[in-house]
Amino acid sequence: MQLKELAAPGSEITVANPNARHNLGVGIFEDCAIRFAGSVGYYAASLLDGPEVLIEGNAGWAVGDNMMSGKITVTRDAGASAGSTMRGGELFIGGNAGARAGISMKGGSLVIGGNAGFLTGFMMQKGRIIICGDAGEALGDSMYEGAIYVAGNIASLGADATVEEMTEDELIDVLTVLEARGITDKRSFTKVVSAKRFYNYDSLERLEKSAL
Amino acid sequence: MVMGSSQIWSPWIIDDIHAKAELGRYRIRGFSSFQKVTHFDDLTFLSTGLTRFPLEGYKERCNTRTVIGGLHCENPLVLETPVYISGMSYGALSANAKVALGKAAAMVGSASCTGDGGMLPGERAASDKLIYQVLPSRYGFNPHHLVDAQAIEIVVGQGAKPGTGGMLMGVKVQDDVAEMRDLPLGIDQRSPARHPDWLGPDDLAIKIEQLREATDWRLPVHVKLGACRVDDDVKLAAKAGADAIVIDSMMAGTGASAEVLLEHSGIPTVPAIVMAREALRELGLYGKVSLIASGGIRSGADAAKALALGADAVAIGIGALVALNCNKEIPESNFEEEVGVPAGYCRFCQTGKCPVGIATQDPVLMSRLDPDEGAERVANFINSMTMEMTLLTRSLGKGDVHSLEPEDLAALTIEASAMARVPLVGTNKVFGE
Repeated sequence: MQLKELAAPGSEITVANPNARHNLGVGIFEDCAIRFAGSVGYYAASLLDGPEVLIEGNAGWAVGDNMMSGKITVTRDAGASAGSTMRGGELFIGGNAGARAGISMKGGSLVIGGNAGFLTGFMMQKGRIIICGDAGEALGDSMYEGAIYVAGNIASLGADATVEEMTEDELIDVLTVLEARGITDKRSFTKVVSAKRFYNYDSLERLEKSAL
Repeated sequence: MVMGSSQIWSPWIIDDIHAKAELGRYRIRGFSSFQKVTHFDDLTFLSTGLTRFPLEGYKERCNTRTVIGGLHCENPLVLETPVYISGMSYGALSANAKVALGKAAAMVGSASCTGDGGMLPGERAASDKLIYQVLPSRYGFNPHHLVDAQAIEIVVGQGAKPGTGGMLMGVKVQDDVAEMRDLPLGIDQRSPARHPDWLGPDDLAIKIEQLREATDWRLPVHVKLGACRVDDDVKLAAKAGADAIVIDSMMAGTGASAEVLLEHSGIPTVPAIVMAREALRELGLYGKVSLIASGGIRSGADAAKALALGADAVAIGIGALVALNCNKEIPESNFEEEVGVPAGYCRFCQTGKCPVGIATQDPVLMSRLDPDEGAERVANFINSMTMEMTLLTRSLGKGDVHSLEPEDLAALTIEASAMARVPLVGTNKVFGE
């Protein structure tokens, strides 16, 4: 709560000893800059709209949960559910991300410098995930829209996920995002999207049909 | 034996098999379970006689003010009646229905609740006390809306379909409903069953803290559970730091569910309340963590019995929709023509063809529901319920609906005695003990 009181448009806040505590930097709607000089626990920099956050260390579960806008950088690894349900902004994980990264994402960009765990992009709705390393099992399981770009290997695709050709414009977009993060050695990606086979039931009852 | 007289192969079952033989999947419908289960009708109040005296039923003061939460938050939810309106989404319901419910809640000094589709600005404006749900899908979830609410409800499960997420058929996933949920137009939406950012009760405790941080520890946090393993679930939710626990039974309603889940999962409201009460009592938290019951609450009598069994408040869903005109033939409707059954038998909320403009996204159908008139009917219904509760309470010699207790009740059946843990009428015996 103290952090929220300090947050004002244009302010620069440093948390010198975050001590990997949970719920640091939650629910801040100001365009300010926050720096955590160390690792943080669960739900760090979550429910944000606007701030630019730097986490110098590791983050626990659900870093950047439901971000509306802004920018979050984690210099090392993130636990499970990084960027869960985020709706906008950019979340960058310098190291690896755990399971379910970008789960139910609704917008924005999740960029992972290392590997991503199993069920990354699970039920993703919109936005994009860029993985510079390898992706774990069941990538993009049950995703609706949005795209996942993987530079490394994919352990397996999830239910209803499929590989699609990437356009040149998309490649330029992805390379531009990575370049801004100082990553210049990744040049080719596998693009994963929804196969859209789960969008609708195969059959409907008479009354349900007549409603369409 | 003639066809139609079999209990096992009833015409309903035969029709069901015919439908599935055509469909090739589970069937989907709205409304609630049609199972015959022990319910509030199986309980009766033991009003006053010579051992105690009543209050004047129509005049003397009887308190209905209800405070929900407060153990861990600054601003508990204060309602003028222990009856509020349950979470039902904009999407499942029309905008007019949502606004009418919000307005009705405000008219009676009570609360309404958002549902699985985000906060509709019209409902926010109409409702003085709005409960903001945090669901596994997080459709439309917006931290600005969160801080603008009067209470938060984390939905772990819902009674109509515990263990699964919400459902909204493609016909209703249109225009701003699809946009608010960030979903492709026209998909048959099957919401996630698990929360995206926490899995077990230990994580839930941290999630609750996150929501409290975001709202400056002002708002009560409710945890809503589909009534199944009530004892364990209530204890875990209370230990995770809930201010209130909503126990939603198998009698609860829905706008769309697989019928197999509606009919074959969860437990009824009566034992759910008793089990939740005892779980809180065991932790020493009964009376500190609020208990809210929902599922099949149809009248002031049901609500009063729920309070007597241990609930602090009740939430109504279908009851409020029926007050809005659900299953009532109105001048503009023709149930037989529009949904193929007479008014009173409709359960087809999932089709969006609601003849009275409640469970639809069709603008022509929606125009059949005037939000102001609808709000008045729902407010009248809640006021009627509240008056029925106070009438019963006074007849029991009490001046506060929250003074109702299990000792005020007797059971009309052996099953009700066992589930409600009150004596069977005509005996001093609580069955099952």
